[in-house]
Amino acid sequence: MTFAERMLKIDRRIIFLVIGLCTLLPLLYPVGLPIKISPEVRGVYDHIESLPERSVVFLSFDFDPASKPELHPQAIALLRHAFKKNLRVVAMTLWVTGTGLADQIITQVAREMEKENGKDYVFLGWSPGNTAVIINLGQDLYKAFPSDYGGKPTKGLPVLDGVHSLKDITYLVGLGAGNPGVEAWYVFGKDKYRFEMGGGCTGVMAPGLYPLLRSGQINGLIGGLRGAAEYESLIDRKGTAVAGMDAQSATHAAIVLLVIMCNVFYFASRAQQGRG
Amino acid sequence: MILLRRQLPLFITLVTGLTMATQYYVPHPVSEELLTSVTKWLQIIGGFALVLGVTSLFHVHAVKIRRQEAGWGYSGVLYAGMLGTIAVGLWANGKESIDGVMTAFGWAYSYMMVPLQGTMFAILAFFIASAAYRSFRARSREAAVLLAAAVIVMMGRVPLGEYILPLSGDVSQWILNVLNASVRRAILIGVSLGAVALSFKIIFGVERSYLGGGKE
Repeated sequence: MTFAERMLKIDRRIIFLVIGLCTLLPLLYPVGLPIKISPEVRGVYDHIESLPERSVVFLSFDFDPASKPELHPQAIALLRHAFKKNLRVVAMTLWVTGTGLADQIITQVAREMEKENGKDYVFLGWSPGNTAVIINLGQDLYKAFPSDYGGKPTKGLPVLDGVHSLKDITYLVGLGAGNPGVEAWYVFGKDKYRFEMGGGCTGVMAPGLYPLLRSGQINGLIGGLRGAAEYESLIDRKGTAVAGMDAQSATHAAIVLLVIMCNVFYFASRAQQGRG
Repeated sequence: MILLRRQLPLFITLVTGLTMATQYYVPHPVSEELLTSVTKWLQIIGGFALVLGVTSLFHVHAVKIRRQEAGWGYSGVLYAGMLGTIAVGLWANGKESIDGVMTAFGWAYSYMMVPLQGTMFAILAFFIASAAYRSFRARSREAAVLLAAAVIVMMGRVPLGEYILPLSGDVSQWILNVLNASVRRAILIGVSLGAVALSFKIIFGVERSYLGGGKE
């Protein structure tokens, strides 16, 4: 067996070790390379920035703990921005497994920004029905969610003043890790009830949402950890996403290097076979 | 029996399908009220579906345990996990925290489910790297194009990539915005037309597989 063939059959535990080190070392010794802001992320930021005080921003946390590393920082950054702008926040989730996480996120940021439950924000929780919940919210918010996650009746909450359905919200951002997610909010929500919307998603999902972005169906997209890091940079509150970008940089570079190496060995082994 | 098994479901599908398809284009209050009621039904049916799903899961794993099939121990773990979570969930009234104090349900969620799901997802990075090394080879011209695009996008999406190859950011944006968006849109239009065609087939009773098998 030639050297190239041996290298092509390298023990996968070596690759695991390389990836492990590429993740761990930058987290322990951050470099802090500058992050360029993409127009997609700026789209969401600029829209929230342009909203007048007490406008209603609807956030849907459609993800579960599996996507926490990417979508949790996005949610935190969006909430910090909305609360800083003194906007009213209505939050919910279409994923039952994400309910606890969404509650933790909104409670944590609200406490940090000294916002009051029921007056400045409300967490509606989860309701069965997937996309039917979106239509129901578009028809009548109080029928879809008669009470919030804490069990308080939604009717009469100051945060929902003048809000009867999705038609009355100013901006919606769907943070989705799958289906139902951003696309569902567009198809069943924005298309019928006509509100402006942006999206956030995991890195692998982002390319699939570009058609919505390019056609203006969503006005911005926060994609993966990179998108979260860009948003953190925009609001000038660097958090876990910016910290994680060095690790992601190193891991991407390692994978690219591995792919180049495997191709060099592949062609080398083919050339040797041809000669033999 | 044919009436109950075939004709009635087909009739309900036809009437409901046509009504709801028409409803979308009729902004009259009656039509809107109909949509509100129907979606509320859907939410209720969704709740029942959840119960049905859990019951079915219990049944499948109970059979595995009873017959002591290969891996039946995992079914036992599943039973313990499900019953334990249901018990603490009912005890805590489905709340992760009450007045800022974490419940047992919240504890199970925060310290079991969150790290377990996170770990499962994180393992993917290792397997992706290993799989990329083993199979991402320029065996043909098409594979070479895919490889080049992947390398550019991977470099262009991280600060280090943009630092080493300053153009990779802009090129990766162009790949995503132009090439990727146009191809995705074409796929999306195709899938949507397929969905419309399938809906018509279901509404008009051409496609009947949702009725299941069995004797007529």
